[in-house]
Order: sequence, then C-alpha cells, then structure tokens
Amino acid sequence: MNPLTRRHFFGKSATGIGAAALGSLLSAETLPHFAPKAKRVIYLFQSGGPSQLELFDYKPRLVDKYKTELPDSIRMGQRLTGMSSTQSTFPVVPSRFKFSQHGKSGAWVSELLPHTSQIVDKIAIIKSVYTEAINHDPAVTFLQTGSQIAGRPSIGSWMAYGLGAEAKNLPAFVVMISPGGGTGGQPLYDRLWGSGFLPTRYQGVKFRSVGDPVLYLKDPAGFTRDDRRAYLDTLSELNQSKAAELGDPEISTRISQYEMAFQMQSSVPELIDLTKESPTAIDSYGPDARKPGTFAYNCLMARRLAERGVRFIQLYHRDWDHHGGLPDGLPKRCKETDQPAAALVKDLEARGMLDDTLVIWGGEFGRTVYCQGRLTEKDYGRDHHPRCFTMWMAGGGVKPGLTLGETDDYGYNITADPVHVHDLQATIMHLMGVDHTKLTFRFAGRHFRLTDVHGAVAAKLLA
Amino acid sequence: MICFLIAVLATAALLAQPVEFNRDIRPILSDRCFACHGPDAANRKSPLRLDGEADAKKDLGRRRFAILPGDPANSLLYQRITSANNALRMPPQSAGHAALPPAAIASIKRWIEQGAQWQSHWSFVAPTRPATHASIDAFVRQGRKPNPPASPETLLRRVHLDLTGLPPSPADVDTFLLNPSSYEKVVDKLLASDAHAERMALRWLDAARYADTNGYQSDGVRDMWRWRDWVIDAFRANMPFDKFTIEQIAGDLLPNATLAQKIATGFHRNHRTNAEGGIVEEEFRVEYVADRVETTSTVWLGLTLGCARCHDHKFDPLKQRDFYSMFAFFNNVPERGLVYNFGNEEPMIKAPTPQMAARLAALDATLAAAKSNWENYQPKLAADQKQWEKKLPKSAPDWAVNQGLIYAQPQTPVTFDGTKTVDAGDVAKFNYMTPYSFSVWIKPASETGAILSRIQDYWEGEGYGLYIKNGNLHFVATRRYTDISMRLETTEKVRLNQWQHVSFTYDGSHKAKGVRIRIDGKPATIKTTFDELTYPFGPKVPFLIGGGGGLRFKGEIKEVRVYDRALTEEEALSTSVTESLETIARLPASQRTPAQQAKLHLAFIETAMNADARVALTARDNAQSERDKFHASIPTVMVMQEGPKRQAFLLKRGAYDAPGEPVDPATPAALPPMKPEWPSNRLGLAYWLVDRNNPLTARVQVNRAWQMFFGQGLVKTVEDFGSQGEWPLHIDLLDWLAVEFMDSGWDQRALEKRIVMSQTYRQSSAAPPEAWQLDPDNRLLARGPRVRLAAPFVRDQALAAAGLLVPTIGGPSVKPYQPPGLWQELGGGGYKEDSGDGLYRKSLYTYWKRTVGPPMMLNFDAPTREGCIVRESRTNTPLQALNLMNDVAFLEAARKLGERMIREGGLDPSARLAYGWKLVLGRQPRTGELASITIAYHRFLTRFKTDPAAAEAFLKQGESLRAPLDPAELAAAATVASLILNLDEAVTKD
Repeated sequence: MNPLTRRHFFGKSATGIGAAALGSLLSAETLPHFAPKAKRVIYLFQSGGPSQLELFDYKPRLVDKYKTELPDSIRMGQRLTGMSSTQSTFPVVPSRFKFSQHGKSGAWVSELLPHTSQIVDKIAIIKSVYTEAINHDPAVTFLQTGSQIAGRPSIGSWMAYGLGAEAKNLPAFVVMISPGGGTGGQPLYDRLWGSGFLPTRYQGVKFRSVGDPVLYLKDPAGFTRDDRRAYLDTLSELNQSKAAELGDPEISTRISQYEMAFQMQSSVPELIDLTKESPTAIDSYGPDARKPGTFAYNCLMARRLAERGVRFIQLYHRDWDHHGGLPDGLPKRCKETDQPAAALVKDLEARGMLDDTLVIWGGEFGRTVYCQGRLTEKDYGRDHHPRCFTMWMAGGGVKPGLTLGETDDYGYNITADPVHVHDLQATIMHLMGVDHTKLTFRFAGRHFRLTDVHGAVAAKLLA
Repeated sequence: MICFLIAVLATAALLAQPVEFNRDIRPILSDRCFACHGPDAANRKSPLRLDGEADAKKDLGRRRFAILPGDPANSLLYQRITSANNALRMPPQSAGHAALPPAAIASIKRWIEQGAQWQSHWSFVAPTRPATHASIDAFVRQGRKPNPPASPETLLRRVHLDLTGLPPSPADVDTFLLNPSSYEKVVDKLLASDAHAERMALRWLDAARYADTNGYQSDGVRDMWRWRDWVIDAFRANMPFDKFTIEQIAGDLLPNATLAQKIATGFHRNHRTNAEGGIVEEEFRVEYVADRVETTSTVWLGLTLGCARCHDHKFDPLKQRDFYSMFAFFNNVPERGLVYNFGNEEPMIKAPTPQMAARLAALDATLAAAKSNWENYQPKLAADQKQWEKKLPKSAPDWAVNQGLIYAQPQTPVTFDGTKTVDAGDVAKFNYMTPYSFSVWIKPASETGAILSRIQDYWEGEGYGLYIKNGNLHFVATRRYTDISMRLETTEKVRLNQWQHVSFTYDGSHKAKGVRIRIDGKPATIKTTFDELTYPFGPKVPFLIGGGGGLRFKGEIKEVRVYDRALTEEEALSTSVTESLETIARLPASQRTPAQQAKLHLAFIETAMNADARVALTARDNAQSERDKFHASIPTVMVMQEGPKRQAFLLKRGAYDAPGEPVDPATPAALPPMKPEWPSNRLGLAYWLVDRNNPLTARVQVNRAWQMFFGQGLVKTVEDFGSQGEWPLHIDLLDWLAVEFMDSGWDQRALEKRIVMSQTYRQSSAAPPEAWQLDPDNRLLARGPRVRLAAPFVRDQALAAAGLLVPTIGGPSVKPYQPPGLWQELGGGGYKEDSGDGLYRKSLYTYWKRTVGPPMMLNFDAPTREGCIVRESRTNTPLQALNLMNDVAFLEAARKLGERMIREGGLDPSARLAYGWKLVLGRQPRTGELASITIAYHRFLTRFKTDPAAAEAFLKQGESLRAPLDPAELAAAATVASLILNLDEAVTKD
C-alpha cells in the first residue's frame, strides 16, 4: 500500500495543491507562505446576527434618545431591508441590558455575557466589522466564501486546500451545528462549508448530533469490526489485482481511502467518547456539555478536534435573528453560548493550545439601533444592520485584551478602524501563515481567491 | 510540482514542433499579462496592450518594440520578463505577481525567434472541416499505435454505462459474447432506448441547474418536473440540438407556440430564486437575469461572460457592455425578485401531461353536459318556484345560507363602547390559503374601529382583521405587516349611526383579487394597498368581535356569521336580506331587490326543488368539483414570457442600483453579428446561438459530449473556451466533430454514435505504469477511457443489479432513503422518505433540495445545482467508501443482489457468487477473483451460522421484502454482494 501522507486523507494525490492547480503552467505555491501563528481555527459562527448593541457595543447616550427618530445624519441613506424600510417611524431603542467594564483591559461587556466578561483579557473584541449584505443568505455566504453569490469555496475549504490536514484520521475541515433553543432561526445550507469550484474533497465534513456523527460511519447491525476487517482485506486484494492489471493509480488511491474509512470508524467514536475526559473539564463548558447537538457539546468537541489536529473547525449556532422579541430571545441565546465559548478559550489556554489555535466568535451582521416592529415597555426588535457589528477573536497570534474599532453614539456607523469582511478573512489567513493574495485557484479562466480582489490584514489585531 | 512537470513533458514529447501562438504563447500572455495589458480598459495599467497583434507589435516610439519578430534581445517584452532588476522585471513582483517559470520564458524567446507568428484566438473563428483526416481515429493516432481493443465484456459494460447509466444484464453479456461483431447494433439499440434519454437528460439537468426547491435561505418548493420530462422527451425523440436550443431559449416566441415549446422555456426559470423576507426585490431580479446570461454563455458558448459583469473581461475580448446587451435579452420577463416560497412563481403555466390533458378534456365534457342538463331544467324550475312562492305558508321557517357556517353570534345587537370586546374563542382560525366569508350587521358610532378579527392587538400585529378606518372598510391579513401581508380598503364609506350589512368573501388565493366586499348587498370598490400575503400566519389569539389590531368598535354589532368557504355571489348577496322568505314571496317579483330574489331562489333550490332537478344539480356540482379538483392537481411549470420591455442598463460594478448607459439586446461584439432578419429578442438570440457562423456552440457541445465518454473534454476547460481556457491538443478533431455535428443537422445521437464506434473509444484502458505517469489524464487518448461513474449511476447500477430498479419514466420527484435529520439540523424542514417505488427510481428523479442536496449524490461529486455546472468532477474519498459500505440503499441492494445470486445463480456457491459478479461487472470472475470471494463467502457463512442473530440483524436493511432463504447463507451472499458493489471496478466505467 502507498504510504499515506498528511494530505492524503481527502485527496488522491500527495502533491495536494500542485495537482489541484495542474493545468496552469504557472501555478506553483509553497504553503504556508510564512510561519503561521495559528495552526488551526475554531470558528464559532453565531447565525442570524447577534445584536452588538446588547452585547459589546456599549452606547450609554442612547438612553436619552429612547423613542426619538433615528436622525438622517446617522442613517445617511443607508438601504434597509424590505422588512423595516416601509416602517413609518424609526424609533431609537437603547439596550435593556446593563454593561460594565471587565479585566485589566477594562473592556465593556454586557451583563448577558458573564463568562465572556471573565476572558476579556484573553480576547480581542472588534467592534468595527462591517459587511455589504443585508439579508442572511448573502451575508453568511459572504463571510464564509468572500462572495455574496453562491458558488465559491468556503474559508474552511480554502484552508484545507491550502494547508491540508494535520490529523491523520480525521478530515481537515469539520462542521458542527446547534439549532438554538428558540424557534430554530434561519436555516443553514450545505454550501456554507462547500468547496465551490475546489475539488469536493476539500469540503467541510459535517459532524452530526443525530444518527451517525459522520454520515454512514457506522457499520450495519450484525457486522463487527472483525467482519469489516475481513471484508476490507478481500476488497483490497481484489482491487490490487485490478490495479496490477490496468495500471491505473486511482485504484491504489481507492484502496487507501477504504483504509482511511476503516480508521475513521475508530477515530470518530474515540473522538466523541467522553469517558476519558475529566468531569471537571466537561462541566466547565456548562450544563449542556454532555448533550449532543448543543453549542456547549460542540465547543467541547471542537477542543477535542483541535487536539487531534483538525485544521478548521466550524460551529454554527442558530437563532440570533431578533427582529422582534429581542429582550426575551437574546438572553436565551447568550445563556446557551456564553459559558461554553468562554470555557473553550480557557480550556485551550490551560492545555497550552491557545497560542496556536485561533478562536473566532461572531455573526453575519449586526442589528439596527432603531426598533423594528412594535416598541413597548417590555418588547422591541432590531432589523439587520450591515454597517457595523462586533466579533471577537482569541489566541493564534491575536493581540489579547484589545478592543478594536469605534462606532458613533448610535452604534450605527464606524468611526475608527473599520474591518471589512474581506479584511477579516485576510487576517485569518495571515494568522494561518497564508498570504490571502496568493492562495488562488484557477476556475473558469480566473484565479479566484477567498478575498476576491480585496482585503487587507488588520495589523492592529496582531499580537 | 512533479505531476506538473510530467504533464509538461508529456505535452512537449508529443509536440516537439515549432512554437504555436495559440497553444504555447497565448496562455502565458493571457494568464500573466492581460490583466494589466489586456482588454479591460478600466484596469489597464499601461498603454501597451498584448491582447492584439497590431498593438503588441507596434512601434512604441523611438523604434522601440514590445515584440520585434525574430529578435528577442530587442523585444521589450522579452527584456522585461528576463530583467535581472527586480524593479523592472515583469510581471511586477511589487504587485504580488510571481515570476514567469523558465519554461514559459524559453517558449516566448523561441516564439519571437521563430518570427512571432500571431493567431486569432482559435475558438472565435468558425470551425472549418480539416482536410487532414476524416475519422476520430485518424486524428487521434497521428502515426501512433493504438492500445489493443478492450475485451468484449469490458466494451459492452463501458458502452452500456455510458449510453444508459446502467450495466448490461447477464443476458446482454451472453448475447454479445456470441457475436461481438454486433457492437454497432448494440449501440443503435442503446441509443434508441428510454434509458438513454434519461441518461442524457440527467447530464443536461446539471447544466440547467435544475432542482425541486428555490435555493437561497428559505429554499421553498417548486415544481419543474414537467420541464425535466420535456428534456427526457426531447432526447427520446433525438431532437436536433438546434431545435433543442431554440425551444428552450425562446419556445414561447415561436409562432403558434405549442404547450411543449412553452414548457421547454422552463430552462431559464431553473435558476435559484429568493423568498427571504426583507430582500430588495430588484437586487435579486437582476441576479436572476444575470444567471441566465452566465448560464447561456457557459452552456452554449463556453465563455465566461460572467467575468464581464462588473468590468470588461480581463482576458477575452468581451466588454462589460456585452454582458448587459445579453442581459437585455432576458430582462423582459414579467417576474419579480421576491418569490413565493411554497410553489411556483409567475410567470407559470398549467402543464398537463398528454394523459392529464385527455382526462381534463373528458371532465370538461362531462361538466358541459351536466351544466346543459341543469340548464334544461330552468324553465320548469322557474315555474315551480312561482308555484312554491304562492303556496309558501305564513309559518314557513325562514332561510339563510347555512352550508359552511361555523359561527353565528350574537342574535341581538351588542353595544360596544370603544373599550369592550366579545371574545368568541378559538373559532375562525383561517390562514392565507383557506377560503372564508363573513356576514355582519354594524351600526358604527365612530369612523374607526374593529368589527371582527383574529389578530394580535396592535396595528401591525399578526393575523387578520376587518376594520373601519376613517369611515372606510379595511381588511388586513398579516404575517409581518411591513412585507408579508394583504391590506385593502373600500373606497365607499360606511354610514355612521345606521344599521348596515357587510359581507366579505375570500377565495383562499392569497391575493387581494380573491376578496369581495359588499355593503348592504352592493359590491364595494376595493383599493388594494399591499398584496404580499405569501406565508402562513397564526397567532394564538381568540376571535374577537368589536376589537383587534389595537382598535375598538363604538356602536352596535349583531349577527356575525362566519363561513369556512367562499360564498358565491348569489349567496353573499342573500346574506344582507332581513325580510323573511314569506315576506319576500308576497312581494310582486318586480318589486323585489336582487338580494331578495337571490334569497328566495337559493331557498327554493335548497328546500323545494323537485328530485330530478336536484339530481341534475348535484351532478353539475359534482362534475364541477371533480373538474376543479383535477385541474388544481395539474402541475404547473415556470416558463419564460416576454412582458413589456424593461430598459436594460449597463450596471456599474455590476450593482443593481448603479445603472449606467442604457443598452439594447445584442450579442457580444467580438462574435459574428445576428442576422438582420432575426428578431432582436430571445428568439433571435436562439437563432444566433445555433447559427452556422457561430464559432462556439457546436464546438462546445461536441466537447461536452466527449467529456461524457472520456471523463474530460478535448478542451478540458469545458466551461471556458476563452484565452484562459485550455488549448485543445486535438484541435483538428474538435473542429471536425463540430463541423460534422452541424452538417448532420445537429444530430446528437449521430455524434454519440460516432464517438462510441471509434477505435479510440474501444481501446483497452490498461497501460503500463509509465504511461499512466506520463499522461495521467489520458490527454493523448492513447488508451481507452477509465472514469469513475457519476454519482447517479453508482446508485442506479446497484439498484439495477439488485433487481430493485423501478423503471417508470418521468413524474414528480421522489424521496429515496436519506439519513434522518439532515434537513432538520439545518432548519430546512422535514424530509419525508417515500415508501415503495419512490425508493427505487433512477437517481434522475431524486428530489433535489438545493441547500441540502441528496448526501450520496454530493459525496460522489454531483454538482449542487446552485448554479450551472458543466465540468465533470471525480474525487476519491473515505466518505465515499463509508457511503457505499453502510448506506441503507446499498446494503439493501446488496441483500437483494444476494437473493438473486441464490435464486438465479444455481446451486453451487461458486456459481452463485460468479453470477452476482456478473450482474454488476458484466463479466465472469477470473479464477483468482472467484477464489477470493468464495473464501470470503465461507468466512461470512461460518460467522453468520454461528451468530444467527447477527445474520438477522444484518438482513434488516431497507423496506423491500426478504426472500424466505436461509439467513446465514443470504447474509453471507449479501456481504459478498456488498463487496462486489464496493469494488473499484464496480464504481468505474472501464
């Protein structure tokens, strides 16, 4: 059997990128381009658009502006979604939740995030991320693929393509989803971890909480590991004789892919087996940590995947889309995610892994300072807001204890240090040792890259 | 890098010939120079252009030349790419461009030395019949010896899989082995088969981005299967490709377009559509039109015209203006950006199958007869009614419409003071697609108030409500007020402090035009202020009288009657009548109001009509409802239509809200123009696409056909024939096939036959390791094709070999096995697996949800159907291994295949195993192979004999019945069957 290389897991060729880009006389890349700070990424995507105004972007002056009309001087002709553009008024509504300063850095964080408050000195809060899309599908697609239009590879696929897998018997790019405890929120789509025009072997592999953790992983009932081994031995024997007859190297590749499948059948159950995990460690992720399908469980799994060398670990937590009922819904999402996310950072640090693991938290856009729908004593909602939103990053070469970016008194426009989605992507790639302008793939006559023709590394974020 | 060098060497070995511009030089210039020295004016970084000969060779002043033929040393181009000075060397490192590899520099040098012969880009010049050869094999061989022919078994399986997506049956194999020279007959038979039409349709669906859902976030359902079946029919009839093109691009614009020709235009409604609340409509409408442009240029022209959407093309002579001129062809569809999430969106048509059309005609005839029969009774009934009226006793019970009445309260007037409401409880829970009616008496004391409602108690709340606002009647049905609601009002005002009757009917069409309001029996004029009720609504609030929506009634209300159906006009009219039947009957007919007439007539019909007439009426009503029900069940299909002209504009940066200069429909300027006699619309475009002078269409089609058989095209970049596309090693062959294709009248089967009849196709794929290394992609065609099966055929083959395949053609898509929870975990609703036939149809018919595609299809590299994909892709992953080994679909197939082995394969275990082998692989196993599987069989037989529970458990796969066979034997046979289905040979077309 062919020796397996680290790129072999999902690939047919040990040359990885060289073979993938073959066909162009002119593509020869060595990756990483420079010494990486982060070897892997854990991206905690908060789908639906968490409100920056209730969580990180403290705007004390809004209290005086309660129910006043959003001034044109602030909105500046900003296009609104069809959900609120026909509203007769745009009354300003301040956060119902209190903020206070935390840590040595004195970062302002909402009372909704008591655990995140404890790690402010380990993370960098970016209050000035902005996007171009105002609806979920284009906005999530933009963050994940660098384009609002479907069809481009996702960031995890780019990383798998460029850097290959570190893990021997797990995929390079793993995705896990938790629905959020509310109505479930906006749907997600396979394309968000798809490989676009990159070969499909670079697509994210979804680890599931229902049924097999990886599709079709489990052998059928009545079939033991010994049975599978015997089965594969015969299969391999037959395939090898065919390989000898025809000479097609693809057959040898298939033989090794079956061996990898066999190994995955052990490595994945081992991954999700928590019996050897210390109960204290599990408990630190919160009460849901033992419940598959929760964000807490997925955070714990993310750490275990990181330990096993998975390159890009993407979590999605749904149901942050608070057009109405924000005072009720938002605290619930925070309760589901705050402790696990903070625990993950602390856990990585305790294990000495935070230095080379980049953790990212954030949604696809922010929310409007004006109320969408009915504004009452107890209730309000906020529409989608692309002009500014907050994300945080930790570890992997990010400057800890930093709060980057400023927005105006309304939390509507950025006033300092804007970070465009493409800048964010460029920065993530930079931390991974990849020059975002150089990792390209030729398709339909063009050298495509994650950041299209844009993006600049946000230097202030770097440690 | 190693592979890359080998590929270059292989190419170089074949082509130790003079440097040829299109093959050797243009790709370098295009890839490395055109971005700044090319066609994109906005981004050109230098006055020097290298994309045209005149520019590239002109005197740049002071007798300096970028390219001085014969003299590289004095050619600035060569000087700059070889400069030792980093600051001067091109491409500029400072801008992040990598240096040219030495091989590219050497090629440029040799080319200049050899005279720098320029060539027009090959694909923009119409193909002519090359004089050199007249057969595929002659073009390919060029003096080289072909590989020996594939064995008859291998060839038969190859051609079966290629032409039908299914393996040959053992009987097919035996027949063929008796007479291998019957190959051509086999080919003809396969080409004429329905399976062939289905196989070809499948390939087209990928290009056409066909799916059963809309895509984007909410990914609601659509029904395009009638278009899909049109495609199957077209291939069944071997429709010439020019006709195939014209009907799909512009079938609706053909004179006296048939239903089929209109259905064909569904091609360009297959793109994704967005139903996400809050989108800016125009943004997405523009997206749809752009998708049509890009798909058309990919599928027919092999051009990446999409690159010119935001700026001039960087490599090809395509202007941004060209993109929007093409855009203008597709811009007049009367469509919208925000689509309906629960079915097809306008424009759409009813698209009955011929069987359905026949049934509808029969039902219409029945209905017409029943109607006429009923009409015949009318004179007599009129007389009877008069008699009845005369005899109507004083004590006769009064009458009102009671059919469908679900609520009738209060009998006596209730006074409302502007604060109180009457809570009627959990009744009248209507939704956007349910018909309903109200009848109510009101005596308003204020110009504003709520009459009845089931809505959240604030103005923009969710639910429905009938109000008075500023004196007008208002009706609101809302999911989300600002964008998902129906809002309308009457222009007539109600009268204050007087009793008046209001009737309201709604037909459940989720459109305001389905609403009728009458005040005192008189139809009110309805002004629709918002008409977007596209989602279900349903607040948990009670039915309120006198309140709702934050409004309160002042005055009196009585006799609220609620129906769960839309009353007919006559019924609605009758509800406003207060006089009793008897009173009306006493009035002379001429003095009765129409409403009174209606009441009297309806009461007579319902209570006093003679039995014969009742039978006739029932027959009419039944015929009507049967006809309506059937009509409603007839599928629709979204189609292209030409609405009023919508001026197209060049959109700056491609942005929908940044229109530049207006543009009219036109084909790209760099290609031959449309003929003046053609209409300047989609029909003209369609004629142009398949015109003899079009240099691209025929080449692009034959190239994709080639890809279907050889795994990749003669031009590997099947989607890009531009200057960034791959230079075809066998360009003469490509041109010859293209010319032949057009000369044959665009005969698609003839093209396929030509390819599969060639020796090139029929070669063995076996080759020594060096040959595989030297030419891994078989670009030289020195051996036969060996390509992993496309995803659908991996599954279809297993079903066929197992005897499970249900060969029904066409119809709505089906939902085969899928691991539970796949849709739910992404929020995409529930997947309801079919039972029975739906589990075993060809993968062509598998329900395709765009945002969560069928997992097995995606595992095996099927395109996601989000957009047009014409390039075939094959990867080889452990997930595929797991899929084939453990997916219930394949385990069930293995079980049924095991049953076939035992029941049809004879008594001897070896014979049975060999039979199973043959069912999948179309050949007998060799001695060694048979020995291997026999050993495996006995190993598993022993295992399952010693553990009968394991055998039982293992055999519980899939829904199909289990044959009454020995469990251990069957489990062992099924294990070997699974093993066979997992062989590389099984999933590979060899």
